[in-house]
Amino acid sequence: MPLAHTPVTAADAAVHPSTLRQAQGSGRTDCVPAAPAGSRRALLRAGAALGAFGASALWGMPAIAQRAKPLQGTTLNVALFSTAYSKLLRPWIAEFEDSTGARVNFDTPGFPVYNQRTDLELSTKGSAYDVVNVTFIYSSRWINSGWLTPLDDFIANRNLTPADFDINDFLAGARAPETGADGKLYGVPWTAEVTLAAASRFDVLKSAGLAFPDTLDDFSRAVQTAHRKERAAGFVTDNHYGWTFPPFLQAFGGDVFRKAPHDLYPTLDTPEAIAAADYFARLLRDFGPDGAVSYTADQSLQSLKSGRSNLGIQGQIYLSQLADKASSKVASTTAWGAVPRGPAGRFPGSAVHGLGIPVGSKNAQAAWQFIAWATSKQITQRAVAAGYGSPTRRSDMQSPVFAERQRVNGYDIARLSSEAIDLAARQGHMKYRTVAVYPQIDQQINKAIELIVSGQKSAAAAMQQAQIGALAELKRSGIAV
Amino acid sequence: MQLPPALAPALPAGEAGQHYYLPSRTAAPAAAPGWQRQQRRAYGWGLYPALIVLALVTLAPLLTLIVVSLTPLSLTDPAGTFHFRDPLGNYRQLLQDPRFVHSLWVQFQLSSVGVTLQLLTGLGIALLLHGRSPVLGAVRSLFLIPMVLPPIVVALIWKILYTPDISPLHQALEALGWPLRSLIANPDTALWAVVAADTWQWFPFTMLMVLAALQMIPDDPLEAARMDGANRWQLFRFIVFPHIRAVLLVCALFRLIDSFKAFPLLYVLTNGGPGTVTEVTNFYGFIQAFNFSFWGYGSAIALVMLAGVFALSALVSRLGRDGGDDAR
Repeated sequence: MPLAHTPVTAADAAVHPSTLRQAQGSGRTDCVPAAPAGSRRALLRAGAALGAFGASALWGMPAIAQRAKPLQGTTLNVALFSTAYSKLLRPWIAEFEDSTGARVNFDTPGFPVYNQRTDLELSTKGSAYDVVNVTFIYSSRWINSGWLTPLDDFIANRNLTPADFDINDFLAGARAPETGADGKLYGVPWTAEVTLAAASRFDVLKSAGLAFPDTLDDFSRAVQTAHRKERAAGFVTDNHYGWTFPPFLQAFGGDVFRKAPHDLYPTLDTPEAIAAADYFARLLRDFGPDGAVSYTADQSLQSLKSGRSNLGIQGQIYLSQLADKASSKVASTTAWGAVPRGPAGRFPGSAVHGLGIPVGSKNAQAAWQFIAWATSKQITQRAVAAGYGSPTRRSDMQSPVFAERQRVNGYDIARLSSEAIDLAARQGHMKYRTVAVYPQIDQQINKAIELIVSGQKSAAAAMQQAQIGALAELKRSGIAV
Repeated sequence: MQLPPALAPALPAGEAGQHYYLPSRTAAPAAAPGWQRQQRRAYGWGLYPALIVLALVTLAPLLTLIVVSLTPLSLTDPAGTFHFRDPLGNYRQLLQDPRFVHSLWVQFQLSSVGVTLQLLTGLGIALLLHGRSPVLGAVRSLFLIPMVLPPIVVALIWKILYTPDISPLHQALEALGWPLRSLIANPDTALWAVVAADTWQWFPFTMLMVLAALQMIPDDPLEAARMDGANRWQLFRFIVFPHIRAVLLVCALFRLIDSFKAFPLLYVLTNGGPGTVTEVTNFYGFIQAFNFSFWGYGSAIALVMLAGVFALSALVSRLGRDGGDDAR
């Protein structure tokens, strides 16, 4: 919340007309009384102006926060992984601290480290953290194991949550994974990532007479055409295959489980799954850059940004950075589109992360105030204005500033993203990802694709091995399949 | 009061026969064993705090590990999975887990080849740098740098070197007309790429220890052998090597134990892949315990590793003792 920079408006109470006139006229955000100094009227005006400033500064804060430093002496331990949002948030936290008196320890390790640390901490129901990121693939495990605090009562409490917070402004598709089996909300989404496709050198494809690939056949043709043109590899993707492979798996008609979340029998060795694995691994093995199997999300992005790879499948947070003229050599030649459609349809991946409160937190109310602040309209609008590319509030996605920035080279990345989120919510094809055992299966998929790409096993043998491994992991988890 | 005979010789002449006030003693020589008992008891009491702390910080976690390894404890359901209905279930599963068995083989390769290379490189460079010139001193300091770098920094350096797109090594070789495929993405070379990085980081440890040992070798036997016409190999084989053999064994022991803890290089460079070709046992244990929350199974893996480390340590120590006897 931009506490110190909120302009004075007519809505602010007890503002003398002269004060308001001056504030409106100057366009400044502070107020200067117009009457001669020292008079009784001037004192009253000054008092009114101060009140108006205070009211405007605390605009959007819940009633409890409008008491002077209501969280004085409270230390909040907040853990989020290192991401664009956490980087934007960090310098603004001082404003939250100034207005509430709370002290915030903001810890943002890398994604895998964050997940391991938080998984361990939550499982002990400890009080080390007051606010945590509810990681998508852990959401079911953390929520349904009772490790997080339901947020509905906080949201409904007008003393703790400002009226304009409006939980329904968050996309329904983004709220769904943060909701427990009990129907309660356990995390307020701050990012909704979807997998998109991009061609960093679409000019190469265009000159070969190809349109942006729509189907799997189109996609393999485009990759083949682009390979080794202008010293670029045809295809690259993040080696977290448990995230980048399922859109292909599902497009071929396969899936991870028979019917998640109710029937968790793994289906990694079906003919469709084997065909999908073969197709996907072939893209990487035959048309990927040297060492493609070791490329992390950042490496893939750099490879695309520098034009060393042409087509890529990745989250939109990464792919939208191809438009950044300051760091991307391919800003003017990139095209974006949905992930390719297969015989079974189109299945873009979507992942939502939210802020939640561990059940062991000793400062749940203060923690909620932090979450309400960090996901307030004021903060998310400010983040979008600063370049944030993955908002979860519909109002942000529809804002002119966001829409304008997401339109690049004639492609509307915001529209592609929201369509993908809506499609995922409608088809429910991401349910496989939020079951408690998915981290184990995710690992099996990673290994299987690596085995195929590196030529250690055929697609059939690798997927059969993944199936056996997945069954063993499920058995170890105590899940009867 | 006279001092006990055991202490008397330690005192200056003339003081031993004098009477001293010792609060716990009433009678001299006849009461000496009792005094010693009390002294031992006092020492014992003095040791207890340290022993208790040691037990708390060392034995308690070990006991916890043993207890947990006998349960199927999973953090997703701690209450329901902390039981002893099948205490050896995890160990039985380990025998049937091909990924675990494979990780033992990978561990063996990484440890044996890695430690051998570190010993040979460290020994060779120590022999080259053994001397009193200031230049050699400066070079010795330079060679120590890899060892003092944080492991994650070493891993990042090698990640850059092994990534063809950005690697100066790959670019230089390509410029020379010898293009090199990615070493960490190739299942035939990935493990050896990790071994090379590990060797680069840890050969300075052996080098440092051997250099210290070389400086302890007396000049006389070397000079005598030279006068008798011994060549450099004979000097090394019959005089230098017997002197540094024990140090090399200590290095081997330390590095062997440490190689079981290899983690940052694998985590950053290969993440255990491609597939599982670089997945060593502790990496697999880490995945089971911290990625999947199977603490019971992860603890069983850790205990098997611990047993292996103990067995190897005992073996190397025995070799060291035998070596020492031979040297004598």
